[in-house]
Amino acid sequence: MKSEIPTPTIHRPEACVLRALLARQETIIFGVLVLEILLFSAIGTNFLAPDNIRNIARHSVEIGLLALVMTPIILTGGIDLSVGSMMGLCAVVFGMLWGEAHWPPWLAGCAAVTLGAAGGAMNAALITRLRMPPLIVTLGTFSLFRGLAEALTGGSKSFTDFPDSFLSLGNSLACGVPVQAWVLVGVFAIVWGLVHRTTAGRAFRAIGFAPEGARYAGIPVGQRIALAYTLAGMVAGLAAVIFISRVGEARANAGTGYELAAITAVVLGGTSIFGGTGSVYGTLLGVAAVAVLSNGLSRILSISDISRELSGMLTGALLLVALAGGALTKAWSERASRSKPANPIKPEPAADTEQPPSNR
Amino acid sequence: MIQKHFRELSIAVALALLLVALAVFAPNFFALQPLLSRLTAQTPALVAAIGMTLIIVSRQIDISIGSQFGMCAVVAGVLAAKGVPLPGVLLASIGAGAVMGAINGALVAWLRLPSIVVTLATMVTWAEALRLWQQGRLLDLPEQVKWLALGQTVGQTTLVVFAAALVIFAAWAMRNLAAGRHVFAVGNDAEAARLAGIDPQRVTFGVFVLMGALIGIAAVMSIAQSPQVQPTCGDGLELKVIAACVVGGVAVSGGRGSLLGVFLGFLLLANVNPALTHFHTQAYWEKAIQGLVILLAVAADGVRSKKAINPVVSAVQ
Repeated sequence: MKSEIPTPTIHRPEACVLRALLARQETIIFGVLVLEILLFSAIGTNFLAPDNIRNIARHSVEIGLLALVMTPIILTGGIDLSVGSMMGLCAVVFGMLWGEAHWPPWLAGCAAVTLGAAGGAMNAALITRLRMPPLIVTLGTFSLFRGLAEALTGGSKSFTDFPDSFLSLGNSLACGVPVQAWVLVGVFAIVWGLVHRTTAGRAFRAIGFAPEGARYAGIPVGQRIALAYTLAGMVAGLAAVIFISRVGEARANAGTGYELAAITAVVLGGTSIFGGTGSVYGTLLGVAAVAVLSNGLSRILSISDISRELSGMLTGALLLVALAGGALTKAWSERASRSKPANPIKPEPAADTEQPPSNR
Repeated sequence: MIQKHFRELSIAVALALLLVALAVFAPNFFALQPLLSRLTAQTPALVAAIGMTLIIVSRQIDISIGSQFGMCAVVAGVLAAKGVPLPGVLLASIGAGAVMGAINGALVAWLRLPSIVVTLATMVTWAEALRLWQQGRLLDLPEQVKWLALGQTVGQTTLVVFAAALVIFAAWAMRNLAAGRHVFAVGNDAEAARLAGIDPQRVTFGVFVLMGALIGIAAVMSIAQSPQVQPTCGDGLELKVIAACVVGGVAVSGGRGSLLGVFLGFLLLANVNPALTHFHTQAYWEKAIQGLVILLAVAADGVRSKKAINPVVSAVQ
């Protein structure tokens, strides 16, 4: 291997590392995040006050949780549109178990997480057993879960009056940080470990690149896909419990539109929507970028009604720009590599630019 | 014959059973004026279903049509309120829809982005832009828009006949026009279609533009039925229409499906909710039943295609 590294191109790896780092979407989104923070702290008042930072953290936990577990799914080349609806169903069931069956909140919370896992497993079963596209399966469960939540509450009923000990989960601090942010940190550690430090994480990428190839390589494709979707359902149940503890109300419309916010964060964070490449820390950066944007806008524009819609619109537009930018750079780099004269003798340097090993 | 049209036949049977059950248990379901009103209320979604059939057959999906619908309806409403005559309103609505469809189409066809994510992003962008613009206000419409200024019964009949004519023309065009066959070819295998001299990117782009234009027509058909325009009038339209397509046997893997099946599936789904209310069940179950029907149709497809994929196994069975 050593003899294959040619001495004349010794300046090349550094340039490649720099270029690869710049081309990485994680770097770009990190730059966007820094830019946002600089801009908002220059224009807005008290943007960097500890209270406001805690506020941002508190409000982005639910979407953050969904985005983290959406990452492995998108890595496999799939998508889960049902997580927001799953949140609504879990919230309603949690509220009913507490308000009507008088279960203690922790037990009702466990039930909500179990229900979420069951819903995710149902998605997985339909996708792997019947080989149906995840898009259409989760579109069906998107409607089914939300519809069940609405049917159970008769369209309008909601559950309130939760005990203070439960509400403190969503509204108090632990070591100066909102309690639920620690949950996000915990889930981040688990998902990061799963995706970046285990063979299962490798399997997700392999499936995303080529499901059939992954099968021939001995990867239990069905099991790995089932793991990703079940985990997503489970965490959607957890997000529902955290949502209720923050707003103090369990209702059927909990988590409406959260699936889009989660997918946006994942794609902004550099995970390819076609599957195969991406990172969990990129997703966290994407979540932060969207949360800072919406918070900063709401502080600049004093009319809070406008800012919510404006930030929603900008999030959608941001997603389009990120997608189009990614596709265009890919097309350009493909064209550039095609227009270069092919070198049949030394194909190694080209392979190096694809995967810089010194990056790790 | 039966094998080829299995899906259409099974839906027709289900629809017939539902209608017979309604005729026996709730005969006033078929009272003429309410029936005409219910049919008219469904025409905008039916027109949208034509476009969605083309989209899914060409192996794409468009979940932004609900937002497009709201945007077109508000554009048409604003113009109508300013006194623009009806043809002008219709043209503006179609134009607005076609532009939104063209944005989707350009991103999907030439940048090769997955349509689900592109239309997810445009869905939220248009919906929030509309909310920003209208702030939840209801637009009052002038009298001459209501029922296309034809009076209620004539207006309703016109809308129903127009929608039916559009469906029949589209069904004929999909089978007999070269452009219609191109949609099937691209949905089946884009590479093979390209080698056969079809430009798949242009077909994809065209299908999205057509979808937007049809939404523009549907939006005008919808505002002609009410004295006001609600900015949220398109919410959930995409699910309803996709459900009709999936139930009607359009393969989500592209290249397969008939407008007849979609039409029957649409009628079946459209009758579920009125049937529920006629049998005194709560209407809150609508979304859940819609989801369940999509999953059932998908599962049926999955089981059938699994058999079809493995001829040895199916021969042994």
